[in-house]
Amino acid sequence: MALWIQISSGSGKPIYVQVAEQISEAIAKNELASGDKLPAVRKLAAELVINPNTVARAYTRLEQAGLVTTKTGSGTYVSDPKLRRSDAADINILSERMDTLITRGLNLGLEEQDLITMFKGRMAKFVNRQTERKND
Amino acid sequence: MTETVLQTQGLTKYYGSTLAVDHLDLKIPRGSICGFVGRNGAGKTTAIKLMLGLLRPTAGSSRLLGCDSAALTPAIRQRIGYVTEGHRLFRWMSINELQKFQRAFFPKQWDDKLFADMIEYFNLPRKRKIKHLSNGERAQVSLALTLAPNPELLIMDDPTLGLDAAIRRQFLEGMIELIMRQGRTVLFSSHILGDVERVSDRIVVIDKGVLRANCSLEEFRAAVKKVILSFADSPPAEVDIDGMLHCRRSENDLELILVGPADEQIAEWAKKNRAQKYQIVKMNLEDQFIEFTAPANHRRLFQWEDK
Amino acid sequence: MRFSALLRKELRESLPWMLLAAIIFLAIGGFALRQAQLYGRYDWSERDFSSGSFTGSYGLQYRRSPLQLIGIILLLTSIGLGLVLGVRHFWIPYFTRTWPFLIHRSVNRSTIFWAKLAAAIISFLISVGAIWVALYSYSCDPERFTMLPIKRVFIEGWLFILLGLIVYLGTALTALSTARWYTTKIFSLAFATVIICAVMFEWRLSWAFAAIIIGAAILLSQINYTILNREF
Repeated sequence: MALWIQISSGSGKPIYVQVAEQISEAIAKNELASGDKLPAVRKLAAELVINPNTVARAYTRLEQAGLVTTKTGSGTYVSDPKLRRSDAADINILSERMDTLITRGLNLGLEEQDLITMFKGRMAKFVNRQTERKND
Repeated sequence: MTETVLQTQGLTKYYGSTLAVDHLDLKIPRGSICGFVGRNGAGKTTAIKLMLGLLRPTAGSSRLLGCDSAALTPAIRQRIGYVTEGHRLFRWMSINELQKFQRAFFPKQWDDKLFADMIEYFNLPRKRKIKHLSNGERAQVSLALTLAPNPELLIMDDPTLGLDAAIRRQFLEGMIELIMRQGRTVLFSSHILGDVERVSDRIVVIDKGVLRANCSLEEFRAAVKKVILSFADSPPAEVDIDGMLHCRRSENDLELILVGPADEQIAEWAKKNRAQKYQIVKMNLEDQFIEFTAPANHRRLFQWEDK
Repeated sequence: MRFSALLRKELRESLPWMLLAAIIFLAIGGFALRQAQLYGRYDWSERDFSSGSFTGSYGLQYRRSPLQLIGIILLLTSIGLGLVLGVRHFWIPYFTRTWPFLIHRSVNRSTIFWAKLAAAIISFLISVGAIWVALYSYSCDPERFTMLPIKRVFIEGWLFILLGLIVYLGTALTALSTARWYTTKIFSLAFATVIICAVMFEWRLSWAFAAIIIGAAILLSQINYTILNREF
């Protein structure tokens, strides 16, 4: 699973944030569904060639955001969406990402309404994917 | 609190009248990968050689695995892996001969299978002499020689200098692989900040022989910030903010490099000094390092002026 | 195991120089002996120049065994081998920058030195010692030579071999010394030269051996002290 995680070591973003963000994105897209097991810290560290502490830190961050739960001696699992708490830090990241998108959109000459329409269109894809997976 | 495997106290080294290492106080806890960074001539190699007892300190002391560096016993040396700068090995030896030589110094702990696997993975001809290998291949041999004895403490002096991205990555993999074993510690010096960021969880920065930082990588990443403030008229003459490292002025802007202050503190200061707007720029580790080790009031080498 | 690994390494590094010294010594020494054997029948001492005619018997009557001529060759070979091995063992590692790798072995520093010295002694025994014994036994055959060597000549040869080792130690200490060239760095080589002169001018064997032993002891203790304390 680690193959889709891309580490960029020259970026302004700390690596543990990069890992956490990409996993949460996968969870949002339902590529990782509730109950799925995340790779073991050491395995992911070896695969991505990053410090195991960094992976552990990313997992802790995801756990704090309520996206995953750690069962002692067994591993880290994607948590049930119903049980997730929303976390200020995560919402913060979300708004920051939105900023980037809005900036790009506005710079392309789009209006507020265009962006909202686009957002809804994309959102639909996420929702569709989630329902599709539930029907499987 | 985890055990300290490497500790220096007031470690100082003069070469004649030149100060190479200046009162270095370091503590590296067991289980970490520590990136040791500093500009050329900052004293990294000297510090490493002092730690390994190859050089005598002018003042101060250093301890590895609880043993004074100046009197490392064979038993302690056997637990320490050391990759010399430039991977200098006996040139006339073949890989096989070098393996035999190295193995003799690590009875019981030498992992022949690991060595064989690495040499095979690197696709190195075992009978070829070191002098006929390329720099990269020699580095690979040196990595295999150092990892095969399963060292408790691994010290590498700029192991990836001049190596291509693929071989550099192999060194990083080697470090990660070692650190996964219980209780191993790595200290490596490097100029490639991307590598340091990738595998380290601690960072040690020295500049002109002086220790500038010794903390977790995350702390360092969070501490060094660039703030750009814009003012309606000229910026305040006196910048009295905590942890200021550099301050560059232009007509209406102020560019500050800060170490330590929280974002709230910066916001407060900006408000107090009536900045029109301010922005905290996220720097990557390389930019942070360059700013952090830049001399006071340094300018860019090539300054582009709007005319 | 560690010592033998070190010894093997040092021997391998000494090997080309061992062979070179052996070939030189064997070639020149052997050639000289053979020449003496072939042309040794004319007795120049009995030639009567006054009469203007050859009255003496044809054949060179040596007053001493021709082995003695070879002594000087042995001495020069020994000194040369001592210099070369000293440079190879203690100087080259600076240029190849392999001292740090070598010093960071799980042995005491003096063990590294003893391995080098052992390799040097073995080199001397094989490349000059063994050949000296061979040449000695060759010249002991009355079929070949009219004058046979006396024991003393043979023992003097071993003195010369020991002097080669003194030169080796002197070179080692000079290489290890951190002093500048124009100050005390060169002292140990000069000291080796003094020992050589002392031995060459000393007629009594016991005194010559004593000079060598004292000189070696001084050099060894200095080398041991230097290698334990110097920086690499």
